[in-house]
Amino acid sequence: MNSGIDLQGTFIESLKGLGLPAGAAKAVWMPLPMLIVLVGSTVAVLIAVWMERKISAAAQQRIGPEYIGPLGILAPLADGLKLVFKEDIIPAKADPLLFTLGPMIAVVPVFLSFLIVPFGQNLLISDVGMGIFLWIALSSVVPIGLLMAGYASNNKYSLLGGLRAAAQSLAYEIPLALAVMAIVMMSNSLSTVDIVQQQSGYGLLGWNIWRQPVGFVIFVISALAECERTPFDLPEAEEELVAGYQTEYAGMKFALFYLGSYVNLTLSALLVAVLYLGGWESPISVSVISQLTGVSENTPWLEVLDGAIGILMTLTKTYALVFFTVLLRWTIPRVRIDQLLNLGWKFLLPVALVNLLATAGLKLAFPIAFGG
Amino acid sequence: MINFLKQVGNYTKETIQAAKYIGQGLSVTFDHMRRRPVTVQYPYQKLIPSERFRGRIHFEFDKCIACEVCVRVCPINLPVVDWSFNKATKKKELATYSIDFGVCIFCGNCVEYCPTNCLSMTEEYELAVYERHELNYDSVALGRLPYKVTDDPMVTPLREFAYLPSGVMNPHDLPAGSRRAGKTPAEIIEAIQEAQKSST
Repeated sequence: MNSGIDLQGTFIESLKGLGLPAGAAKAVWMPLPMLIVLVGSTVAVLIAVWMERKISAAAQQRIGPEYIGPLGILAPLADGLKLVFKEDIIPAKADPLLFTLGPMIAVVPVFLSFLIVPFGQNLLISDVGMGIFLWIALSSVVPIGLLMAGYASNNKYSLLGGLRAAAQSLAYEIPLALAVMAIVMMSNSLSTVDIVQQQSGYGLLGWNIWRQPVGFVIFVISALAECERTPFDLPEAEEELVAGYQTEYAGMKFALFYLGSYVNLTLSALLVAVLYLGGWESPISVSVISQLTGVSENTPWLEVLDGAIGILMTLTKTYALVFFTVLLRWTIPRVRIDQLLNLGWKFLLPVALVNLLATAGLKLAFPIAFGG
Repeated sequence: MINFLKQVGNYTKETIQAAKYIGQGLSVTFDHMRRRPVTVQYPYQKLIPSERFRGRIHFEFDKCIACEVCVRVCPINLPVVDWSFNKATKKKELATYSIDFGVCIFCGNCVEYCPTNCLSMTEEYELAVYERHELNYDSVALGRLPYKVTDDPMVTPLREFAYLPSGVMNPHDLPAGSRRAGKTPAEIIEAIQEAQKSST
């Protein structure tokens, strides 16, 4: 198996060539991918917000943002800029410490989860051995921040929103984890890179979605609920709760919540792409191209092309999923809180358990197809 | 046992049905994205007001005989007619005439009843002002004609729904010279006159 480009190794080698000691070269390298991913994820959010607005407009036969940049592409940037310049208000009777801490705790784990999102063989910050488990652990930190924000706002709408967010996240974390567990069972590894590699080789047919259709549906529904997107946006249901836990927030703190929710959306879409849609694998793999043209797989330009195609494929799959969630938003009305919990505990949880059991059985019965 | 299996079967059936309905809904939303927006982007595009549009009222000072019929037919006696009787000519002389468009409901009764046709409705509807007293139009302001939408080089005029060719729902990108559905009023009058000529 070709390991693709090794940016880290090349970078450190070139710095060593300039006369830096190996440790210092590694220290220079370390912040670079983090910075790139941080900026990249923020830009991804801007694109997601723009898509949301444009597609919503198209679904409602409106035009949407048009004059802020070409096709209104700068509209989310203008939104963000406005929020940056707004006054930061802490309500008089609110708990200032928890009120400030809430949005931070809600946002940091989401950005931290980008640690394990792979865009290529070596194009991720860190190939943590228990990658996907780390994401599940981090995503369960978010509702603590939301609950904190709701409680600290000293407002009944905020409190209700915070409590709903906590209940929803608790209910949907378990089927999410069980769906992931079935995948992990098939690929014999928690690492996201291994999960994608296990799907490679057969092009489109190798994707986990064919082997885990039920798991895919469970994962998508649970991820939607985790992101608090419609039809599961009860914590911020504006008709009932004004804006839920965000009610008392303004300025940069509100921007953090806003950013966090969209980063969470893109992150979930990325992970659906990684877990079920073959991650960076393209329908026509680069090894096929190299065989056809007779160019060695280790040629530099082919490796760069491979990396570029990998990033492009991952982003295409991700944004296709974001598109789907936006479409879903204008199709399905919001569920009630009892319907939400019924769906989580009485439908998704047993189905996810049965799916896990069936995967284990199939793995024993057909070890070739189900990663024995 | 059989009862339980039946329940499971029913539940599965319901689930599949729910999934089917969600799929149908998604296809409807997806289909909507194909349709072009009919948005009229207001300051740059404007609808052409219809012939019977009841906009700001136009007033011709010289035609007015100060009879005050407009005041009597007005639901709130709005027009202010300030006249004095000239004993030498034995006629009323109009000094000023004003209508406050902040209060007017644009019912058109005054236009309907004016014996000398000195009142008429225009197609002007952009009456925004900085202060409400500016809406009190005097005879000079009432005498101004509005700028036509079709003459404004900055504005793309768009036809209203009833003025589109039959079957067309969207005023954007109409081919040049496309006619509205049915006959125009002028054609109807012409047809009536033809019929009368042939009968006599």
